[in-house]
Amino acid sequence: MMFQELVRTYAYKKGMPNERFTFVPHPITGQPAPICRKYLEGNDPITGKPIVEEIVGALTKPLTDEDKKTGFLARPVERLVKPDTPENLYRIFAENGWTDGLPIVLPTEEKVAAMLKGTSHKPDETVGTMQPSSPHEPWSYTVEKVAVNAVMAGAKPEYFPVILAIAATGVPSLFTSTTSFARMVVINGPIREQINMNTGIGALGPFNEANATIGRAWTLMSKNLDGGGRVGQTYMGSQGNNLNYNNVCFAEREDRLPPGWKPFHVQKGYKPEESVVSIFTGWGVIRADTTLTEKLHPQIPFWLQFTPFSGASLFLDPLIANQLKDEGFETKEKLVEWIYKNTQLTAGDYWGKYFHIANFVLPNAKKGDEPFASWLKLPRDTLIPRFSSPDRITIFVVGGETNLFWQAGDFRFVVSASVDKWR
Amino acid sequence: MKKGINYSLIGMFLLTSLLFVNALQAEEAKITVLNPLGQPPPIALVPMAPRLGTLDGKTIYIVDVGFTDTHQFLVEMQKVLAERYPKANWIVRTKIGTYFEDDPKLWAEIKEKGNGMIMAVGH
Amino acid sequence: MFEDLVKTTAYKKGMPHQRFTFVPHPVWGKPASVHREYIEGKDPITGKPVMQEIIEALTKPLTDEEKKTGFLERTEPRIVGPDTPENLQQLFLKNGWTDGLPIVLPTEKKVAEMLKKTSHRPDKLVGKMRPSPPHEAWEYTVEKVAINAVMAGAKPEYFPVILAIASTGITSLFSSTTSFARMVVVNGPICDQIGMNSGMGAMGPFNHANATIGRAWTLISRNLSGGGTLGETYLGSQGNNLSYNNVCFAENEARNPWKPFHIQKGFKPEQSVVSIFTGWGITHSFGSAKKEFHQQISSLLGSFCPYSSGTSVAGALVLVDPLVAKDLKEVEGFDTKEKLSEWLYKNTLMTVEDYWNSGLVSTFTLPQAQLGVEPFASWLKLPKDALIPRFLSPKEINIIVVGGETNAFWQAGDFRYIGSASVDAWK
Repeated sequence: MMFQELVRTYAYKKGMPNERFTFVPHPITGQPAPICRKYLEGNDPITGKPIVEEIVGALTKPLTDEDKKTGFLARPVERLVKPDTPENLYRIFAENGWTDGLPIVLPTEEKVAAMLKGTSHKPDETVGTMQPSSPHEPWSYTVEKVAVNAVMAGAKPEYFPVILAIAATGVPSLFTSTTSFARMVVINGPIREQINMNTGIGALGPFNEANATIGRAWTLMSKNLDGGGRVGQTYMGSQGNNLNYNNVCFAEREDRLPPGWKPFHVQKGYKPEESVVSIFTGWGVIRADTTLTEKLHPQIPFWLQFTPFSGASLFLDPLIANQLKDEGFETKEKLVEWIYKNTQLTAGDYWGKYFHIANFVLPNAKKGDEPFASWLKLPRDTLIPRFSSPDRITIFVVGGETNLFWQAGDFRFVVSASVDKWR
Repeated sequence: MKKGINYSLIGMFLLTSLLFVNALQAEEAKITVLNPLGQPPPIALVPMAPRLGTLDGKTIYIVDVGFTDTHQFLVEMQKVLAERYPKANWIVRTKIGTYFEDDPKLWAEIKEKGNGMIMAVGH
Repeated sequence: MFEDLVKTTAYKKGMPHQRFTFVPHPVWGKPASVHREYIEGKDPITGKPVMQEIIEALTKPLTDEEKKTGFLERTEPRIVGPDTPENLQQLFLKNGWTDGLPIVLPTEKKVAEMLKKTSHRPDKLVGKMRPSPPHEAWEYTVEKVAINAVMAGAKPEYFPVILAIASTGITSLFSSTTSFARMVVVNGPICDQIGMNSGMGAMGPFNHANATIGRAWTLISRNLSGGGTLGETYLGSQGNNLSYNNVCFAENEARNPWKPFHIQKGFKPEQSVVSIFTGWGITHSFGSAKKEFHQQISSLLGSFCPYSSGTSVAGALVLVDPLVAKDLKEVEGFDTKEKLSEWLYKNTLMTVEDYWNSGLVSTFTLPQAQLGVEPFASWLKLPKDALIPRFLSPKEINIIVVGGETNAFWQAGDFRYIGSASVDAWK
């Protein structure tokens, strides 16, 4: 029933504001034929009219003059908001859905100008395009628009190149899927110290202005720069994801990497002295409850029982990273290789347990795509790798060494972008 | 000892606020801020297909978008419509691939052989 | 990095000159040979031989400073001179009074407005809080809570909820090295009255009340208990991203086929209540068409931490979308949440071997078992492949209904329930 708004606004944005619809009761997934018939022989739950009558009417009733219109629907956005007192403006911003509900810094011309000094790029330069998910319309945005949202988030001008880099990827932190995605942004390179990011104790938590405001800026951009985050229209996550507040924004602890272990951006082909943001997508972060009374690495696969559709990201405290190096993993790559080979599940579980595999992989397997087509034919108890390639597994080192703990998330890498480009 | 701390903390915050009052009065004047919204692209209107007047002798396609475990609904839809409007020809088809994929072959077939289409999203 | 922690803890306990020696870190998991090396080597902070430091600490006579008695006054910094809102925002930030995000400055006017929404006097004691058991507890008044509520951006009508949370005395920034997260769930008429979100996107950043109430708890935990100071009163090695909002949302009572959580805890339907949970992470599940929901949930809970000690017990919290709740009740036959918890308890099992191998179990539960505490003592004697329940009792598995029915999904976390408080008491 709540899909009405989504359907209407979506049709509108596709240039079909008067498209004719009929709704049936929800859900339909898994309903047997007699229930389907009952729905069809009944009434549209929104209009109350008989469904069959509506369908036939939609097909046969002549078009009105409104229906026959052609041309363009312009949706101009003013550069400035109508002047008002700060009190009223805070309220207007919140009521318009331009914030995440928390206090903002009002983006006065002065503040935005100060933010713009954090980059050498011109205010009217296009940074990128973003959409809540692929069927939705992409919006493009300028350096100035990103600056407005960065100011609102509370970011300092020296954080601006990082925020621009995130904006340049075009990846929204608020994806519209009903599954309630989370996104993560990890920062590497000299910028981390330059803007005083936290890589140690409490790095993932609310203890640092840069970590907090950069992560938050991404959420504000994802609402305002692509029409995203409108619950029921461009955000359909049934329950929402608590990680969306900060988008797991942290910096990797490069100074305490075991010798031979490279920072993430260097693994991706950047030079150590380059500063980079890297984007990941997934759903949750959990605490791995491992013990040191035995070797650590054999315990890892148990804590990575994530959906094979995504990937695994490991957040290792430097003490854990060093422990693993002592266990013989000379490089992150060697550890990833071991994890890939030793994190498995049965073919039966692969095909039977996961919504995304059934929805997205099964059709391709049936079409003949490998290796899925072959996996479909395997006996149900054959073991196969849980993650489709070592690329789906990422290792970060972060933390303050107060204890040998680590966390893991079902996050996989999406894209990296240069921060230096936006200085 | 603890009471001392409590009072000084209260004192500190109240002091802030006393200092604040003057600043606030000056701030009640109106200010101008920038709009944080990005620019949505213009929408080109897509004219609607002419309507059929009557269904007699027409071929209507019912296209399934392909959400998991919902095809039985489309099949039932075809049955119900065919029972009530037997003079029309109702055909159920499934679009290829996942719900994000386009199916130009199917659209071409419908343009050629059909008079109307119902796109169904069973969710 | 423990030097700061140790020195400030001793200071707060009235022993500012307590004598310490440090050895290299970590000690955990190292063999005896390495421990010997540590003891025979140098203090990594002072560079002096460890043995020498220990002997000196025990034998060197006390200085006059060290012999002092009386009280240590701690004067809090005072704000000097008038200042601009700009500068005050920066000062609050610099002093560590925020979570790094912009705040609403707590002017006299704003604090007064907040105070209007409670009938309690500003100087009434709300509770006391400490970052974790060894730390000192600070007390705080209604006005103190109001200041932090204003800073968080909360509206005055949210104040009774925030006071209720503050009254539990539970910190959202617990100082354990494991990086805990906390969760607050709101039940009762207050949810609709203040416009909280219990439907689509409820756990995300889409609602003013959910966002600011959760945040207020973090500010209270920092400012009203001396918490959140990295290395001293917050030791979470990596931190927890859920601490930004503390998973603050309202249970979806309108679409809940079972009883709301607060009623399960003995409150009346018309009462408004906050309930606190503690844990670490949330896992998402989208289910599959093949197995029934209750079996899939059990499978998911099979990966949660099972540790229990005398005072804390492993828990699981299942957050089901109303569509899932409906099916669990009408199709799978679980008339009540309790019946589902019972089933999950009986059917979420693990081997004895896996149990004793779990990190926190070996640290916290094993000593209990060795002391004879049941059922752990008996579990020590079972064969390695015997099956035991992962959770200590059905009571440790809680179910909350939340979501907007766009799909039949659920989330689950290794969170256990620690307490509830009345919102009405603070109106």
